[in-house]
Amino acid sequence: MNALSITGLELARPGGFRLSVPSLSLAQGEQALLVAPSGGGKSTLLHLIAGLEDPDAGSVSVADMPISALRGAARDAFRGASIGMVFQTFNLLHGFSAIENLMVGMMFSSVPAATHDARARALLAELGIDRPEQAVETMSVGQQQRVAVARALACRPTLVLADEPTASLDPANATTAIGLLQRACRDHGAALLCTSHDPSLRAHFSRVIDLGTAEAAR
Amino acid sequence: MTDLTIVLRSLSLRRFSTTVTVTMVAVSVALLLVLLAMRDAGRAAFRRGTGNAHLLVSADTSPLVAVLNGMFYANAPSQPIDWAAYMKIREAFPWSWTIPTQLGDSFRGSPVMATSKEFFTSFEPVLGQPWAFVAGKTFEAPYEAVVGAEAARLHGLRIGSELVLAHGVGTASGAAAHEHEDHPVEVVGILAPTGSAHDRAIFTSLETGWCVHAEESRLKEAGAANPGEDDHGHLHVDPEDLRDSEKLITGILLRVPTRPGEQVSSALPVAFDLLRRQFPFTVAQPAQQVGRLFEIVSGVDTLFIAMAVAVMVAGALSVMLALYNSMDLRRRQVAILRVLGASQGRVFGLVLAESAIIGLLGSGLGIALAAIFGTVASAELQRRVGLVIDPTMDLRTIVLCTAAATFLACAAGIVPALRAYRTAVVQGLRPLG
Repeated sequence: MNALSITGLELARPGGFRLSVPSLSLAQGEQALLVAPSGGGKSTLLHLIAGLEDPDAGSVSVADMPISALRGAARDAFRGASIGMVFQTFNLLHGFSAIENLMVGMMFSSVPAATHDARARALLAELGIDRPEQAVETMSVGQQQRVAVARALACRPTLVLADEPTASLDPANATTAIGLLQRACRDHGAALLCTSHDPSLRAHFSRVIDLGTAEAAR
Repeated sequence: MTDLTIVLRSLSLRRFSTTVTVTMVAVSVALLLVLLAMRDAGRAAFRRGTGNAHLLVSADTSPLVAVLNGMFYANAPSQPIDWAAYMKIREAFPWSWTIPTQLGDSFRGSPVMATSKEFFTSFEPVLGQPWAFVAGKTFEAPYEAVVGAEAARLHGLRIGSELVLAHGVGTASGAAAHEHEDHPVEVVGILAPTGSAHDRAIFTSLETGWCVHAEESRLKEAGAANPGEDDHGHLHVDPEDLRDSEKLITGILLRVPTRPGEQVSSALPVAFDLLRRQFPFTVAQPAQQVGRLFEIVSGVDTLFIAMAVAVMVAGALSVMLALYNSMDLRRRQVAILRVLGASQGRVFGLVLAESAIIGLLGSGLGIALAAIFGTVASAELQRRVGLVIDPTMDLRTIVLCTAAATFLACAAGIVPALRAYRTAVVQGLRPLG
């Protein structure tokens, strides 16, 4: 089973933007860095993979499930159960504590409700959050990032999509953060597709996919 | 973590907006409940006044006027009924009781009704609740009076107080009325409040009224120019000296026999018809006339209810505005929930649940406000005007108002919920600024 399979993906938008991914796949637990110039379609590709946008042509499958063919609530449920996302600005739910952010993340997944609290606490402890009841907006940037990673893994995803997760961090913290993300995904058996415009991150990934070249195909 | 937790957290995050919106709904619910309660209480207060009398006979021109004058002391009836006619009516049917009444005098604006002792022993001012005395007893002799609870409070009357009655309805100051100052009446009894118009009346025996008026008319006959001058006091009429033509009344309360514990009787239509056919007076069924009065004022009633409903709709619109405006701030929250796997329907439901909770909270607070207002207003009305209004709200009305407020709030939540439903996830996730 592949964590991700893309075939013949095409998307064109008014204004000349065009995204074309003839073929791309990620094996289970594989980690890859997706690079492209700014405006090259990295985030758009992640949205297409997560089923937040529809392609003009082609198909996207996650864990062998063609998510692009799913519609409405079924697609949302599949995303909630199989895909974790980490954003540049973390997109945590303000007004909620760290543990509540994780539990909201699990609400829409297939993780049994009875295990939500224990799993959330374990994940947060694993990622070095010692005050799980603290409101996320009162946390440092580094802590918020760790909560975001923990939330992405809370639903036991097959695939984690990280959209410029280090863009708001200085180089030293970026290295720490990407290491944390990679280790966490590895420990939980999730594949990782990470986008970045930071060339220094290439060294952390054994596979780098350049959207602008034939590298994308595999 | 449940949907309800998310909804409640979302509401608490917008604490000020939520408080204002809930208060708006609460005020509208309270206003509607108070208006409905006051309407019901007003009707109850009117119905109370008719007591257990089945019929009222009067020389007034219409049954409604007869009831308003005879039982609610609106005005003194314009035409009298002579005692002989009363006796004929009394003999014409096997009545359970008949009570003659005479209106026409007043004490500082409070109506004075002359009647028989049966008024206190047979007539019940409130159905199932006989008269009760807080002090003293009923009158036994001429120039004794029993005072209604509100009249006693208004004029500071106690047992032993002396009243100078005035001819005519007069005013609170008594300035326009001629006073029967030679015959002060002594208070011998003070009644407990009944919540009816009778509370503001003063009651004397028929003989008291007849003697006072007989003196007046005999002085006129004797050629006295002004009965208010010194010489009118020299003429004194005792009850046994009364002529038949001086024994005038203005109304008769009647009750037909009923089975024990029952109010209605099949004999009532027969008695009603008999009186209508055989006597040249107006015959009224008090309860029916009060119902007719409500029909007449139902337009105003509807207007009040319509105003209250309009306030409720305004409350619902405020819910819609508050939620709709909050959607700008919540674009990101909705987008995050969608990314985490929440369907469009679930997000729609979450916003709708917020509006329902605002409706429910507003209703709860509104019921509490209405109860507090009702209790305070009821106590104040009783203290100031002696009007007994039951502040207890009808459970059915409460349930209906709560359901209506929640339904309206939900309806108002549809537009913002649709906005949440249609929120473009990708746009919502973009970094701010």
